Amino acid sequence: MDTGLLLQLLINGLIVGALYGVVAMSFVLIYKASRIVNFAQGEFLLIGAWTCWWLLTSWQLPFWIGFPITLVFMLIFGIVLQIVVLRPMIGEPIISVIMVTIGLSIVFQALMKWMFGVFAKPFPPIFASPTMNVFGLDVQTVYVVSLVISLLIMAGFGWFFKYSRMGLAMRATAFDQQVAQSLGISVRQMFAMSWAISAMVSAVAGVVVGVVNGVSSALSFFGIKVFPAVILGGLDSIVGAVLGGLIVGLLENVAHYVDSQWLNWGNMYEIAPFYVLIVILMIKPYGLFGTKDIERV
Amino acid sequence: MATTTIIPCGDFKTTYAADTTIFPTVTSRNVAIASVLLLLVLPAFLDRFWLNQLIQIGYLGIAALGLNILVGFTGQISIGHAAFFGFGAFASAWLNNRWGIPVWAAIPLAGLMTTAVGMIFGVPAARLKGLYLAIATLAAQYILQDFFARADWFTGGVAGTIAMPLEIFGFAFDTDASYFYVVLFYTVIMYVLATNLMRSRDGRALVAVRDHYLSAEIMGINLTKYRTMAFGISAFYAGIGGALYAHYLQFVSVEGFTILFSIQFLGMIIIGGLGSIMGSLMGTAFMVLLPELMQWITLSLSGTAIDQALNLREAIAFLREMAIGIVIILFLVFEPDGLAHRWKQIKAYWKLYPFSH
Amino acid sequence: MLKTALLATVAVLTISGGAMAQQTIRVGHLADQSGATSDVGVPFGQGVADALAYLNKQGGVNGVQMAVETVDYGYQAPRAISQYKSWSAGAGKVAAIQGWGTADTEALTGFVSKDEIPYYSGSYSGHLTDPAGKGTHGSKPSPYNFFYGPSYSDALRAMLLWAADDWKAKGGSGKPKYVHMGANHPYPNAPKEAGEALAKELGFEVLPAVQFALTPGDYTAQCLTLKQSGANYAYLGNTAGSNISVLKACQTVGASVQFLGNVWGMDENAAKAAGTAANGVVFPVRTASIWGGDTPGMKTVKEISKISDAAGTAYRPVHYVAGICSAFYMKEAMDWAVKNGGVTGPNIRKGMYQKKDWVPAGLDSVCVPSTWTDADHRATTQVNLYRAQVKGDTGASVEELVKSGAIKLEKIATVDVPRKPEWLGW
Repeated sequence: MDTGLLLQLLINGLIVGALYGVVAMSFVLIYKASRIVNFAQGEFLLIGAWTCWWLLTSWQLPFWIGFPITLVFMLIFGIVLQIVVLRPMIGEPIISVIMVTIGLSIVFQALMKWMFGVFAKPFPPIFASPTMNVFGLDVQTVYVVSLVISLLIMAGFGWFFKYSRMGLAMRATAFDQQVAQSLGISVRQMFAMSWAISAMVSAVAGVVVGVVNGVSSALSFFGIKVFPAVILGGLDSIVGAVLGGLIVGLLENVAHYVDSQWLNWGNMYEIAPFYVLIVILMIKPYGLFGTKDIERV
Repeated sequence: MATTTIIPCGDFKTTYAADTTIFPTVTSRNVAIASVLLLLVLPAFLDRFWLNQLIQIGYLGIAALGLNILVGFTGQISIGHAAFFGFGAFASAWLNNRWGIPVWAAIPLAGLMTTAVGMIFGVPAARLKGLYLAIATLAAQYILQDFFARADWFTGGVAGTIAMPLEIFGFAFDTDASYFYVVLFYTVIMYVLATNLMRSRDGRALVAVRDHYLSAEIMGINLTKYRTMAFGISAFYAGIGGALYAHYLQFVSVEGFTILFSIQFLGMIIIGGLGSIMGSLMGTAFMVLLPELMQWITLSLSGTAIDQALNLREAIAFLREMAIGIVIILFLVFEPDGLAHRWKQIKAYWKLYPFSH
Repeated sequence: MLKTALLATVAVLTISGGAMAQQTIRVGHLADQSGATSDVGVPFGQGVADALAYLNKQGGVNGVQMAVETVDYGYQAPRAISQYKSWSAGAGKVAAIQGWGTADTEALTGFVSKDEIPYYSGSYSGHLTDPAGKGTHGSKPSPYNFFYGPSYSDALRAMLLWAADDWKAKGGSGKPKYVHMGANHPYPNAPKEAGEALAKELGFEVLPAVQFALTPGDYTAQCLTLKQSGANYAYLGNTAGSNISVLKACQTVGASVQFLGNVWGMDENAAKAAGTAANGVVFPVRTASIWGGDTPGMKTVKEISKISDAAGTAYRPVHYVAGICSAFYMKEAMDWAVKNGGVTGPNIRKGMYQKKDWVPAGLDSVCVPSTWTDADHRATTQVNLYRAQVKGDTGASVEELVKSGAIKLEKIATVDVPRKPEWLGW
C-alpha cells in the first residue's frame, strides 16, 4: 500500500474534481432553469478556452484584459444560442431536445477543429511561477488558483440563488413556470440568463484546463464526464453537482491507483466513472441526491 | 408521432384480416414489389460506387430500423446503438473464425447473440426513464467500447479482426455486385418482419407503452416485459446489420463504433421520422448520401474564392461532421416529424390537387 | 426536386471522372489530416504529396505521369479499408499505395499481397518486415509491405542499447528500470514485446506498462505513478501530440526520467510546444540530415518544398523529409519496373530489390542507404539517435527558435542494431 502515491493522487483528484464540479454546476443550472439537457457543455469549455487563447496570442492582449473579454463573449454566446436554437424547441419531447444539443456539440467540435486546427496549442505563460508546493505535491499554480476560483464560484452561486432577485426569480421559474410567469417574471429572460451564466462559468473552467494542458479538442470530454457527476449528485441539485464532481475526480484517481498497483489494465482512469454510474443507476435510479419523480395518474 | 394518412375514396374493409394487412392498398403493395424487382436488376447498370452506397444504406437501414422500434415505437432512448452494431459485427466474425460456423449461419446467430446482450442491458433499463435512460445507454456505449478494445479473445483487441466473405456452395459473395443481393435479401426480410410486428398485438403494446405507459399498465400490459423486448428486438436488428457490415468490409475494428456513430443512428431515425418504418430507410439514405454531397460541394467549390477564404479542401473531414450536426438541428427545428411526414404531406397534396385540403 | 438534380449531377461527374483516365500510373495516398495522429500525419503526407508532384514535373515515370489520389481517412482503420477496396480492383486499381497508420496497414497485409499492390506505409511496425512469414515470432507474410526507415522495434532496441551504456556512463548502480508508455493501440503496441524482451536481456528491470491515450489530455495521474515507480528510462510510444502532454505533466510533477521517443514522438514543432519539458528527450531520426542542413540532398528537398510553399519560408519538420524519401523509393522502383516488364505490382516489388545501400537520385546524405531483399524487408538497421535540447521560452516561431539555438536537435549516437534472424518480423 503506497500511501504516499495514494495521497498525491487524492489531492490531484480533489483539484480536478473541483473543475468537474464547476462544469457540473453549469449543467445543472441549465437543467434546473429550462429543463434542457445540455450535451454541448464540454463545447462551452472548448469555445471559452479557444477564444481566450486567440485573444492572448493573435491580439497579444494581457491575460487580465483577455479573460474578461472572453467572459463577455461567452455571455453573449449563451444568450444567442438559447434564443436561436433552443427557443423553438420549447415543448418538444425530450428526445428531440437531447438531439438538438448533441447536434450542437458535433457542430461546435468540428468548427473549433476547423478554425484552430487539431494540434494542442499551449497558452502563453500567465503566472510568474508555474508551480506551487501543496502538501508536498508540486501543483500547477493555475490549478490552485482554479480551486480558489471554483470555491468562489460555488459561494457566488449560493449567494446568488438565495439572496439576489434574479436568482430567486430563476428558482421560481425552475419550480413552476406558470406561477412564476403570473407573478411577472419573464421566463424567456430567465432561460437566456441561465444559459449565459452557464456558458461563462464553463468558459472559466475551460481556460483553467487550457492553461494547464494546452487547448485541444480533448476539452470536450469534460462534457461527457459531467454525466457521472450529475448522476451521482442528482440532476436538480447544485450542491449535489459539486459533490458529484469531486467524487468523480477522486474516483478516477483511486481507480488509477488500484489499476497501477494491482490490476494493470491500463485504462481504469477513463472508464471507472461509467461503471460506477451504471451501478448507481441500478440501485438508485434517481441518483444519490436526486428527487424521485412521483407519478400521479 | 404517427400521422394519419388520407384514406382514399371507396377503400373500405369488411374483415379484420383485410384491415391489418401490411400494405394498406393493392397499389402500394404492387409498387413495393416493383421496386424490389427494380433493385434486383440494378447491379447490371450501376458502378461500384453506387452499389457501395446502396449496400451501406441496406445494412445501416436495418440497424436504424431496430433503433426506431426502440425509440420511435416504444419511446425509450438509446445512445448506445453503435455498440450493439459492433457487437453483432464482432460476434459474426468470431463465430466464423473461432468456431468455423459458415457465414450464412453466423449472421443470424450473431443477431441472436446481440439480442441476448441487448436484453441484459434492457432489464435494468426498464426501470429508468427519460434522461437517466439516455445517460445509462451513453455509459453502456463507452463500457462496451472499452470491452471491445480489451477482449482479445473475442475481438482481436485493438488490432481488430478479419472477417471472411460470405460463401455458399463455394461461391464467394466478395464483390459489391454479389453482396448487394445478400444485403437486399436481408433488408427486405427485416423490414417485412418489422411491419408485421407493428400490426401484431405486441406492436400495439409497444406503441401503448410509448404513448401513455400508466394507462398501458392499467390495461394489463407488462411494462418491464415490453421494454426489455424492445431492447432485445432493436439489438437483434443492430446485430444483423453489424454482421452484414463485417462480412462486407471483411475487417472489424473497435475504432469504427464510436459515440459519433451512435449519434448518426439517432440522426437517421429522427431525419427519417420517429415511428415510421419507411422513414428509417429514408433517413438512412439521407445520412449515407450526405457526406458524398459535402464532398461534391467542396470539390466543385475548390479553386474559387470561397475555397481560398475558408481553406475548404483541408477541412473536408470537419465539414462532414459539421454537416451531420447542422442537418440534425435543422430537421429538428423545421421538420420534427421527419422525411416520412414530409413525404406523406407531398402525397396528400397530389391526391387532393388542385384542392388544398 | 433539388435533391434529385444534385444526385444526378454527382452520378454524371463520377461516371465522367472515370472515363478521363488516359495513360497515367494511378497511385493511392492515404493520409491522416484530421485524426489522432494528424500532428505528424500532416507534414508526412505533405512531403509525400509534394515529392510526387515534383517527380511528375520532372517527367514522371519514364514520361508517364502519376495520377495521385490523396484521401484523408482520419486515422480510422475501417475508413482506410473501405478506401482500399475501391483502389484494389476494377477500373480504379492503383499500381501502388502510399499509406500511413499501423492499424490499417497491418490489417491490409493480407489484402495487398493477394491483390499484389505494393504498400509504402508511414507505419514502421516490426510486424511488416517479414516478406515470407518465416520469422520465429509468428509474423504474417507481408511481401508487398515496405517502409523507409528503421522499424519501431529496431529503433527501440537501438535506444535500449544506448540506454544500457548511458546507465553505466552515468555511474548508475544496480538494475536500471525501464517502462513502456503508450496507448493501447497497434501503433504504440508494435515494439512493446520486442523492447521489453531486449530490456530484460540487457539487465533492465521491466516495470508494468503505463497507458495514456493518443489524444492530448491530463496525464498527471500517470506521471505520479511513473515518478513513484522510480523508472529510469521510459519509452513514449505515441505521436508528438500526446507525448507533449505527458512531458509537461511529468515536468510539473517532478518525475526525472530519461524519455526515449519513437520516430513520430518528437520533432521541432513538439519541442516548441512542450518547451523545456522536452529538454533531453532522446529519439531516432530517419534521415541523415534535417531541414536547414547544408547537404546536396537538402537542395533537392528545398526545391520540393516550393511545390506547396512558393515563398520558401515554411520550416519543414523531420517527417516532411522522411515522406519525400518514401515517395522517391517508390518512384525509382517504378522506373526499374518500366524497363523490366511494365509497371505492375509484382514488378514494382521486384524493383524494390534492385540495389544494395540504395539512395535515391538527388537525395544524397538525406535518405539513409537502404537495402530491401525478398527475404528481409528491414531496410536499415542503423539508427541515428538525437537528443532534443530546449532552453528558455519557446514562444517564437520554429524557424527563429532553431536559428537562435533555443531548440537544437543534437546527434548523440549511431547505433548498429544486429540484424538477427530471430528479430525478423518482430
